[in-house]
Formats: sequence, structure tokens, C-alpha cells
Amino acid sequence: MDAAFIRRLEAIVGSRHTLTAAGDLRNYGYDASFDQALPEVVVVPGSAEEIAQIVAACNDRGYPYVVRGAGTGLSGGAIAELGGVVISTARLHHMLEVDVENRLAVVEPGVINADITAAVRRHGLCYIPDPSSQSACTIGGNVAENSGGLHCLAYGVTANHTLGVEIVTPDGELVWLGGKTVDVPGYDLLGVFVGSEGTIGIVTKIVVKLTPIQQSSRTLMAVFDSVEDASQTVSSIIGAGIIPGALEMMDRLSTNAVEEFAHAGFPTDADAILIVEVDGLAAAVDEQAGAVRDVCRRNRAREVRFAATADERERIWKGRKGAFGAMGRLSRNYYVQDGVIPRSLLPEMLREVAAISQRYDLRIANVFHAGDGNLHPLILFDESKPGETDRAVMAGEAILRACVERGGSVSGEHGIGLEKRDCMAVQFAPADLELMARVKSAFGDRGLCNPRKVFPTSRRCGESARRVGSLAPEVAAAAGPPF
Amino acid sequence: MLTSTPFTIALKDLLGARFRVHPEECARFSVARAAPKLVLSPDSTEEAARAVKIIAQERASVVIRGAGTKSFRPPALRDVDAVLDTTQLRGVLDHKPGDLTARVAAGTPLADLQFELRKHGQFFPTDAPFAASATLGGTLAANANGALRQRYGAVRDNVLGMRVALSDGLVAFSGANVVKSVAGYDAHKAFIGSYGTLGLIGEVVLKIAPLPATERMLTASFRSLASACAAATALARSNLFVMAITLHDPKAAARSAALRGAGDWTLAVRCGGSRAATSAQFEGAAALCKSSGASAMRDLEAELVPAAWADISELAGGAMYPADRYAVAKLVGLPAQTHLLADAARAAWPDAELSAHPSVGVLFAHIPAESGQPQPGELWKQLALHNWTALYLSAPAANADSWVAPLPAHAPIKLQRRLKAALDKAGTFDPGRYWGGI
Repeated sequence: MDAAFIRRLEAIVGSRHTLTAAGDLRNYGYDASFDQALPEVVVVPGSAEEIAQIVAACNDRGYPYVVRGAGTGLSGGAIAELGGVVISTARLHHMLEVDVENRLAVVEPGVINADITAAVRRHGLCYIPDPSSQSACTIGGNVAENSGGLHCLAYGVTANHTLGVEIVTPDGELVWLGGKTVDVPGYDLLGVFVGSEGTIGIVTKIVVKLTPIQQSSRTLMAVFDSVEDASQTVSSIIGAGIIPGALEMMDRLSTNAVEEFAHAGFPTDADAILIVEVDGLAAAVDEQAGAVRDVCRRNRAREVRFAATADERERIWKGRKGAFGAMGRLSRNYYVQDGVIPRSLLPEMLREVAAISQRYDLRIANVFHAGDGNLHPLILFDESKPGETDRAVMAGEAILRACVERGGSVSGEHGIGLEKRDCMAVQFAPADLELMARVKSAFGDRGLCNPRKVFPTSRRCGESARRVGSLAPEVAAAAGPPF
Repeated sequence: MLTSTPFTIALKDLLGARFRVHPEECARFSVARAAPKLVLSPDSTEEAARAVKIIAQERASVVIRGAGTKSFRPPALRDVDAVLDTTQLRGVLDHKPGDLTARVAAGTPLADLQFELRKHGQFFPTDAPFAASATLGGTLAANANGALRQRYGAVRDNVLGMRVALSDGLVAFSGANVVKSVAGYDAHKAFIGSYGTLGLIGEVVLKIAPLPATERMLTASFRSLASACAAATALARSNLFVMAITLHDPKAAARSAALRGAGDWTLAVRCGGSRAATSAQFEGAAALCKSSGASAMRDLEAELVPAAWADISELAGGAMYPADRYAVAKLVGLPAQTHLLADAARAAWPDAELSAHPSVGVLFAHIPAESGQPQPGELWKQLALHNWTALYLSAPAANADSWVAPLPAHAPIKLQRRLKAALDKAGTFDPGRYWGGI
């Protein structure tokens, strides 16, 4: 990268906000996935206009650029595979407007997810999507990934809670898609943009929907002696016409790993637990919780325990959210998958995961959004043992193929990025990918805007993930909070 | 030369009796009174793609037509080369009650879809207008929504995937068959509200919902528009989570048996859920309306609600207003501004009948065509001032061209044009009649 270009970036954002030192670049070389690559320069712009100028500069010189929020992504979306420029949204962290009457907020992309709810809770409002990383991840990243969370079963994902975005297009122009009002005339480019992983523009402002906080909620934990019964219960709850606020499942391996340090009160001798949260009007919540309890009992739950206090509820959810992090206690490395299946096929899919675990001789822990059919199998392996990394990658691919064969998806919420780009061809036909490529071209793509993400290369599904385990231990330790 | 070339032979070979050229037959598929020269009625998305490709190669144009309920959208349609009739793309192809998903052919009438789903205690959660005859595809293509969006979201929030056919013959799937997926771009979202100008919506994967166990409806009358809107805003802000809220002026309300004689401005609040939840919503809504100054309130019991609502949902942009006598304008602002929207619409069109979905800031003005001003300058100024948007959903065919709403100042028109060019390369699908002349 030539000095004149760096000077041009410095002129845009200031030299203080232009990082080129090797130590600085290393901090931007990884996210929470296994992928790594060093950018050549990092800029930290202070406004949307500066981002537009950075994009124009990159276009002039043909340098690729990648936007980055908190770096909590699980699919390598913020990795600068081709080097070039990383654009950090760290300085764009302002909540610009909260409109309580109209239930919306206008925020900059670097605002942390949990901070929105923290700011509006006193008005009885919240921002719904709550990925497990919500205390660190940014709204800009959430828009890019169309993030979900524990409560998207009943309330939807980021796309359902975004009214409008201001973006810098790959042409370097600032435009609004959607706005503060609904049904903005014209093609729904907002719907297309959310979840596009930063490949068709950079989001610079977001209008989020705020939702009234439910009057009341009850959290219960149902304990099962078989995974089969627990997964059957999920279908029975939905089949009874109940859509809980959240419906999560953890198997024995996960509960044991968590219980050791979190003391969430998870049983260590049960094959599976369900965590169910029902919410709504105070007058109706107990009745609904009772209905869920009855369904669990009919499906042979050994015990159904209601969280009696706010503290108990908090501990259960903390235990659930800490599950990924707890895997470090069980295994030197783990490889998390994010496939989705129709939820009625959960029992057979979990049998399949168990069979894959046996076939590749690796332990697989399951902790996931059962109500959505969104699995998170954690494949445990040790990179220092010959062949284990390869087996983990193959097991991961087998799981994703099994999801697609059942009519599902290779990713429910973590995104495609680098890690799963070569699995896209498993799920989508060439014509489907052609349609996406045309959309990308319509946004003005010239191969520089977060290049080589989402679309498959010529490699097989799974091969992108071959770098699994290549992380230096100190980088792995620094890769953000546990999920 | 559309009717006497090898090209018609190719279409005849492809479609057989589902290819029509006889003028009398074609007239049955008119769009805004314009009769097409050809009518294609494919019975699969693939067949549709092949047929449209043949037409595109001939540089002719195609207008997609479902039940024809929303075909009076201005500007006027002068010549229609071909109509692609979607009514043979019919059927609920795969309904998985336990997964709350359904894959449905786009030409399926909404009423048929709801009938099928209701057998399993479920429904596609929309009360979009023209419910008796509109097709699913047409409803999505028009982004037609009802007041149920208050609880369930707009139709765009309940579409998981789509199979589409483009004018160069490409048949592609976008989205997923499951309730959650982030794999790839959601290209299908662009087809919602596209009025058939990007391509054909062939099949749709829907997220469906359980029917509420019980329902109840509150109607509340208000002497002032401002207090009716204040009540609606308070309701939407509350944690009652009612199903739907509509607002009507007295003339509009008089068209529905359930609302007739209710008073000046009427709010209809649909409550639903378990018995306990429904009563709590109803009592809470009644208390809010009372404190906002409601002059009278009525209670409609469970079994009467669906039939009453079928009428009420048609008061907003729907079948109550025949297209040859009314223009329909849709104005959108912030929810808490709904009363300002209504005041501005009233000033522009004194004879219009107004109905609204106040919790989302959407107002429908039904303007008697003989008295209405198509271009109310003052309203357009207000629009620009407040960042409101306006569209005419319908206008009488006789002077359709005069009913054209202004574009918002900051519309991303360049991206819109490029998307059209990228997906409909030859400009085959209804060229020039989309928003912004696309």
C-alpha cells in the first residue's frame, strides 16, 4: 500500500485515527471466528461523510475495504482476507435520537446492542434482538449479519426490527433505504440490505424499532432423561399453539460444562434440559406457563422447575449465554455450527448429530435455539492431536449437509462470511446464486466492498474452515467475551 | 405482429390451451380496462419463465395479473402486449403445521390459503384488503397490509422465501424453507411491493401463526380526531399487545355494520389470545380510550369479531370503494402524526373518506373521483416538510395519468433503477409504470 494513499486517508479521518503500526493491525486481524488476516491500514472515521470519502479513495486506487464493529462475528465477516483497509465503526457510537411516542431510535452503527435497551428501559421500551454477545456486539454488525438471539422465536430477528438505514454504497454515495416511517415507496432495498454482511455497502445510521416491555414473564426449566423427549417437547409446545418468548435446549455435555462454573442450577445427571420463557400480560402468563409445564410433563419431563426469583431467572439465562465460553473447560478447541432445520425434525436431527459424533470420534455438545430449529452443535477437538482438526471440519460439514437435506439452512444467525462461503453451493443452486450476484451488481459492487465473502469459491464446503485451530493461543484468548 | 409469428407458435407449443389470443377471451384479463393481445396462464414457475423469455426476446411487454383487484394503480396502462395470468399457479404445496411454515403457489387466493390453514388452527397473519378475491402473490407484490401488522408485522415480516422467474428465463429461489436463515442475500424482499416489475413471484414460503384462542373487539368513539389518535398512540406504546387498531371517519365507519352510528371518529381495537389475555387487553384498551376522552364504547363478543373485521379491513384501501368511482391515496407518516396526516388529507380532499392504521402511521384516503383534486399542492408541501410519503393505490382509468404522487426528496432512485436493470434486463415487466417511472 503506497504512502500517498495513506496520506489521503489521514487527510480524511486525521492521522490519530489512521493506524498502520504492526501491533495495531494485529488487533484487527481476527474476529470471533477462526479466520485471520492482517489489514494494511485501519481507519476509524468519525462520520458517515468520512466513510463515503474513504470508500471513494479506495475505489480510486482499487484497494479493498472491510467494515468492522466489535469483531464478535462468528463467520469471519470482518476479516480483511485480501488486506487493504479496515474501517472501524468504534467512533460512531452515538444514539442520535430516541422517539418514545413513535417507538423508534436513530443510532450510529458502533452503538452496542445492549446499550439501546439500557437507554430506553425507563420508558418501558426495549430493543428486541438479543444475540448472546449483546453486551459487546454493535448494531451495525447486527444489521450486517441480520442477527437473531434468544428471543427471536416470538419477536423476529434484526430485519424485523429495522425501519431504515443510511448507507454508503460501493459507489461512495450516501443514501437512505427505508426511513423512520413504514412502507417507503420503491423496491424494499432495506430488506435486501439487512443480512448482506457488509458486501453491498456500509451502514452509517440505523433506525431501530423499539418494543414495549412485556408486563410479566415466567422462566422455567424442564429436565429430561432423554434428548429425544426434550426435542419432542419442542414440537409439542409449538403444536399446542404456544409461541414462547424463548425456547432453548442444552444437552448433558453443555449443562455439565456450564454448571461447573456458573452454578445456574442445571442438573448434571440429566440428558437434556429445556429453558422456556413465556411472557405477556400478567393476567395470562401463569396460565400459559402452566400449559407449557403440562406439555413438558406429558413428554416425560422428570422435573419442571420455575424460576422463583429474578435472581434465579438471571442465573439460568447467564448459564445459557455462557455455554460457548464454558466449552473451554471441556476441550482445547471447539468448532461451532449454526445450521437450521424444520423444528419438527429436531429428534431425528439430534440422532444424526450423535451418529456424526460417533463416526468422527469427536464429542459434540448441543446448546441451541430449539424453538427456531437453529442448532449450535459444538464439535470438541484438540488441534495438537494429529488428524483431529480435519475430523472436526468433516463432522461440521456432515452436520450442515444433514441440515440442508432436511430442508434447512447452513446458517441461522452467525452468517456466511468466509467460513461458510463454500457451503452456499450446498444450499443454493447456481441460479439462486446468480440472482444474488445480480443484486450485488445492482448495488454497484466493483469487487472491493468486503470482497470474497458470502459467495462460494471453487472449493468444497468445509475447506474454508481448514484453518480451524491455526490460531495462536494468545489471540484465541483475546478474541472477545465468551458466547 | 404479436399474433402471427413463429413466436406465438412457440407459446402455443409451450402452453397449449393456456395460451389465449382471442380478443374476447383476452378482454377477461384486462388490466385497468386495457385488454391484452395475449394471455399466458402457466401452471408452474418454470413454465412461466420459459413463456416470458419468449416474449422478452420479441421485445414485447408483460403485465402480471392475479385476481386483478389492484390493477387500477396509476399511471394509465395504454397498451398491454401480454398478461401473465397467475391463477393457474395454485395450491398450498407444503404446509407443516408443527413448523408453522407453508409453501404456497403465488396465484392461490388468500381466502383459499386461510381456509386450509384454519383447519389446523393457524392462519397467515394478515388482513390485507380484497381478502375475498386477492391472490397471495398479488398481495405481496402490492405490499398490501392490514391493521394486523400491529401485532404480527407486515407481510414482508412473514415471508421466509420465494421462488421467482425473471424475464431472461432464470428461475431462482431466495430465502429459506425454515423460520430462520441468514444464508445469502434476501433478494426476495425486493419483490414485495414491486408490483410485478422485477419478475414473477411463483412460490412463496410463509411463516404462519396460531389463531388466537379467543377474540373480542372494542369500538370507541371520539369527538376529536386528535384524541382518537392519542388513544391509538397510547395503545401502541402500551404492553397490552392488542392484535390490531383501525381508525375511521364517520362516513367510512358507516359502511361497516359493526361500526355504524358509533360517532365522530371511531377506533376499532381487535383483541385476541387466551381468554385471560383477551379480557386483559380489552379492559386495558377500554381504560386507555376512556382516559383519552372516548365518548362511547362498545364491546363485540368473540364469535362476531371475524365477520365484523372482514368488513372493517376492507375500509382501508379495499373492496368498499369501486375503482371506477374512487381514487385511493395511501399516506404514511410517523404513528403519532396520524392525526396531522388526516387533517392534511381532509384539507386536500374534503369529500374523501378516511381510514387509518394509526399504530403504524398509515392513512388511506378514498377520494370520490368527480370531486377530488389529483394534485393537492398544499398536501405535497406538507409531505416534503414532514418526510411523509404518498402513493396512489388506485385511480379511475378515465384520467389515471393525472393521479401521480410526488417522489420523496431523498429516494434512492439510482439503486432502484439498477436493480430493475439487473433483474429485468430487457425491461419486459410492465415498463415505466413503477414508482419513479421505472
